[in-house]
Amino acid sequence: MGEGLAIIGIGEVPTAIMPERSRWDILYEICLQAVRNAGIDKNDIEGVITVAPQAQPRLSAEISFGKLPEELGLKGCRDVCICNAGGASTSNCIRMAEQWIESGLARIVLIPHVTVHSSIPLEDLINFFATAGIDLQWEYPFGTTYNGILAMMTRRYMYETGTTEEEMASVVVALRKWATLDPNSFFYGKEVPTIEKVLSSGMVSSPLHKRECNILADGGGALVVTSRKLAAQITSTPVYKLGESARFFSAFTMTRDNDVVGEGFRDATHEALDQAGLSKKEIDIWNIYLAYPVGHPMLMESIGLCEKGQAGKFFREGHTWPGGSLPWSTIGDAIGRGHTGSGVSMATYVETARQLMGQAGQRQVKEAQYVFQNTSGGSGMNFIATVWGREIP
Amino acid sequence: MTSEYIKPIPIIQTWTEQFWKAAKEHKLLIQVCEDCQTRIFYPKKVCPECWSSNLTWEEASGKGKVYSFSVMQDMVEPKFWADIPYVLAMVDLEEGIRLMTRIVACDPEAVEIDMEVEVVFEDITKDCALPFFKPAA
Ligand SMILES: [Zn+2]
Repeated sequence: MGEGLAIIGIGEVPTAIMPERSRWDILYEICLQAVRNAGIDKNDIEGVITVAPQAQPRLSAEISFGKLPEELGLKGCRDVCICNAGGASTSNCIRMAEQWIESGLARIVLIPHVTVHSSIPLEDLINFFATAGIDLQWEYPFGTTYNGILAMMTRRYMYETGTTEEEMASVVVALRKWATLDPNSFFYGKEVPTIEKVLSSGMVSSPLHKRECNILADGGGALVVTSRKLAAQITSTPVYKLGESARFFSAFTMTRDNDVVGEGFRDATHEALDQAGLSKKEIDIWNIYLAYPVGHPMLMESIGLCEKGQAGKFFREGHTWPGGSLPWSTIGDAIGRGHTGSGVSMATYVETARQLMGQAGQRQVKEAQYVFQNTSGGSGMNFIATVWGREIP
Repeated sequence: MTSEYIKPIPIIQTWTEQFWKAAKEHKLLIQVCEDCQTRIFYPKKVCPECWSSNLTWEEASGKGKVYSFSVMQDMVEPKFWADIPYVLAMVDLEEGIRLMTRIVACDPEAVEIDMEVEVVFEDITKDCALPFFKPAA
């Protein structure tokens, strides 16, 4: 893996519905925060690789054509690029940064993300989210939506495993337990719903209720990354990337089997852990980004953290809550954070780093040393597994 | 009828025209590779297994089983509001392919996974019909 990569700085703004906070307000805020958090000078940034903002064409154009280093006066910047793989974009920005760093092109790279949904004209927003990742010929004419396809995956999973609707709702409860402790969450400080409240929130696409679906919100986050070697010199809290693997499944749900997804979850996870030289038992936090509740029990069972059909019970019993034996999604995934387009993967990486830097406040998992994190794009087209640590095992 | 239809119409590619022409005549076609005999869904320009361009069509029996479904009740685009509640489904055909569709002609509450269904075409415009499914007779 050559020199390897480490996160040395993080920045983030609260996820909220706040149209008065512009995209460039957020970009300034997160980049300044991340550079200061890293303890470096702005001119030490030699590359900027930005997460492609979804459904924001003007911003995409500005960032693609180099406005970010210009705006922030990054005098040391040698190159700039934007990277799009939907919700998996941040993982690809990190991979590209790793390559720039290893090749010597850039020693320190800034990776920002911003999305402001609330100022996108409603028609554009509906248009984008109704059709991105949904086939216009074979799915859309039937009235397919993201909620609809995830509802079908959920029903199939419940059918195959005997998981109950109360158990599915308890996944939302578990995610919201973390979110209420997160100052950057849409649900910060808000009452955590009971299972009954989740199930009484009105059916959207059966078996999914309103509280089992995502709220679109605005947000942004940034990472500063560098080589392992330089990281250890710059900061006392480097966050090392230790392992990675991935599987691609399919562009569309109609061509995707729950079984194939389960096998991909399992194999990519084990490959990433092997590369890190760690076992599942050594992982202190599982930071999962799968956007809807169903992915959580599926993943937990696929990777053998519990037996098939038992994950629902496990969530219901509270083991994944703050203080539980298996800290899981410590920002509460998109359900707990608010969905920021391609941004929940960034928020999850920021949280992984925050936990390993010991800066996670009320959510801090004591002595967290190793974190497993995944991302996923589109309607669940792929699964990217990574392992991070405070130390190199 | 044509001018009234506000919902999305399939965006057809040159190599899928046959499928939609047949659908208009209420026939459900499956694309088949003549070289490796793979049944292909959704239809492609070349066989996704062997990249052969020797592709042909066979008529499906139209019988299948529900793989999964959802009764769509809220948070759909305004153009689908008039249909609520509708049953979005994935159906596994006897021939071993899965397609996205709707289950119609029954109470949404009666739909179940593994329920046996058969194709029924819905003429949406004068040029286009969508393959829906209803409980098997
Ligand atoms: Zn073939």
